[in-house]
Amino acid sequence: MSVDIQLAPVIRFDPGEAAFGSARGGNLAATALRAGSLIAFAVILVVFSLTAPYFLSLGNIGNVLGQSAISGVLAIGLTIVLIAGGSNVVTGGIDLSLAANMGLSAAVYATAVQLGYGDATAVVAALVTGGLIGVVNAVAVVGAGIVPLLATLAVMNIVAGLELVLTQNTVIPAATPLLTAVSSSGPFGIPVLAYVLLAFALIAAAIVQYTPTGLRLYAVGEFPDAARAAGLAVRRLVAGAFIASGLCGGFAGILSVSNLSGSTTGSGEMLLPVVVTALLGSVFSRRLVPTVIGTLLSTLFVGFLVNGFQLLNISSVLVSGVQGLLILLVVSATTLLRK
Amino acid sequence: MASLTSSTETPDLSRAVIGVIVNNALVLALVAVLAVFSVATPTFLTLANLQSILVNNFTLLAIVAIAMTFAVSVGGIDLSVGTAIDFASFAFVSLVLAGQPVAFAALAGLGAGAAVGAFNAVLISGIGISPFLATLGTLFIGRSIQQLLTSGGNPVYLPPSGVPEAFRFLGRGTIAGIPVPLIIAALIIVGATLILTRARFGRVALAIGIQPSVVRYSGIAVRAHVAVAFILAGLIAAVAGLILSATVTVYIPSSGNAFLLNAIGATFIGTTHSRLGRPNVPGTVLGVLLLSIVANGLLLTGLNFYWQQVGTGLLIFAVLALSFINRRKATA
Repeated sequence: MSVDIQLAPVIRFDPGEAAFGSARGGNLAATALRAGSLIAFAVILVVFSLTAPYFLSLGNIGNVLGQSAISGVLAIGLTIVLIAGGSNVVTGGIDLSLAANMGLSAAVYATAVQLGYGDATAVVAALVTGGLIGVVNAVAVVGAGIVPLLATLAVMNIVAGLELVLTQNTVIPAATPLLTAVSSSGPFGIPVLAYVLLAFALIAAAIVQYTPTGLRLYAVGEFPDAARAAGLAVRRLVAGAFIASGLCGGFAGILSVSNLSGSTTGSGEMLLPVVVTALLGSVFSRRLVPTVIGTLLSTLFVGFLVNGFQLLNISSVLVSGVQGLLILLVVSATTLLRK
Repeated sequence: MASLTSSTETPDLSRAVIGVIVNNALVLALVAVLAVFSVATPTFLTLANLQSILVNNFTLLAIVAIAMTFAVSVGGIDLSVGTAIDFASFAFVSLVLAGQPVAFAALAGLGAGAAVGAFNAVLISGIGISPFLATLGTLFIGRSIQQLLTSGGNPVYLPPSGVPEAFRFLGRGTIAGIPVPLIIAALIIVGATLILTRARFGRVALAIGIQPSVVRYSGIAVRAHVAVAFILAGLIAAVAGLILSATVTVYIPSSGNAFLLNAIGATFIGTTHSRLGRPNVPGTVLGVLLLSIVANGLLLTGLNFYWQQVGTGLLIFAVLALSFINRRKATA
């Protein structure tokens, strides 16, 4: 019940009005919206499959999953921070360094390969890079008390700069047995990346949604004072969320090296789409809160949308516009339904 | 000034010194950066270079950061300042290319930027969407619209022969030896300072940013003030769009986003200049100065270009850390 009155805390802005609406109206709105967004998802799938025959083939679905793997892993990392950081996007949970983190981790992996190290060393190096960036974020947010939006913005700049220093703004090619294996096709002709995304999402969902630690993350994010009063290690949990997000960035970096056969520049372009995906994810959850599965669904939603547009030869120019409209429609519906 | 209050409780000299340092982190960082670059590079402290900092690094970012300051002052944020810049630039360049008078094209550009702000205002004040999400949506939609208008993202060039004198004057002209863009930026800085500190609107806006419910219970129309703040943000960002396109005589789709993160950085660095951590125009300007000087200074030191971004990031990080640690101590 205490969770219900905090309906959709991430997306509401109501300066000055009481933040506690009627719980019953909230539930109704939440149900309507959740059903609405799932129906919208289904309608889009049906329309695309009717107009583009290839759309619902196993091969194409696998492709969409594979192409969504990198942004999906990043969005799930961001979701963990959203959960632990709580309602306000500016002062609460946000990690702007994720995309840059992926870029640097990928560069570290590719550089390690270039220096003659094996896959094992390179994987560890990339994950340590991502994890360290998470630690810096955690120290800045929890230790120094810097607002996450600013702390991760500054870290993003530093990390993006380090990537440039390391790569001199060039493409670093990398080809190893592991990278080839990850970028190839697995069972049923579906890309291995697709399986990686699903496995990663399931493990993350198991940890975040079904363990005591995950539940505590929600408590810390939604009611930090109550969580502290209940004796939860608030600072340690928030720090852990940022470190987990950093590790996701490192993992996404490895996937990106494999997908692109090396490290390339321009990872920063991923940032805003990933933020939109993670924020949209809460629409696919029962109580309109950020969840791992919700984020996975929202990642696939965007992935299918882009893919369908491509199959129908609709200009990809429209994709970002549709993403923007979607987020506004969804959020407007939430807030209007509550009135 | 504010530093004295905290140092009176601790007679220990070293702690007092630390207090002074922490409370004026932004100003001291500026002084330190100026000193370091003056010693490190002979060309830094020359009139020509200081002027170059103001013209090339400071002007546009200052205007965009002021726009951001208005959005932040009501407790929001505007991720679509780049969209307002781009829309203004597109309208301005396209109309001049079509042979319209420069003044009319400029007005249309300002209107386009204000329209972006008004769209945000409807979403935020009308519907009640959080500013972060509303302006993020605007940013994405704006990107698509620009690509549709330019058949996939082609720049709109003004042929060198077809650039009207007034257009060129806005970007590269001087009045009494002072570059026109700098004069416009100065006027906006002074105007914004007056609005936020002297006008009733500004005081209400800042109050909304601190405690909206109190403002509402005082019988003040919170939503209307929030709406005006976002329209102002779009309008001011549009000015930067006009100057940008007049300087480079071309409109490049989605180029305005380049200012976004630095504008956010400068505005929030600026909040550390206020004892209560509130957005304020002088702080924002100091933040922009800091970013501009560091960008220029690092360039002059001949340091590898890519290390410059790392250096800038580290500096911002240090300033933020100092002031937030201090603020935590002040409230504890």
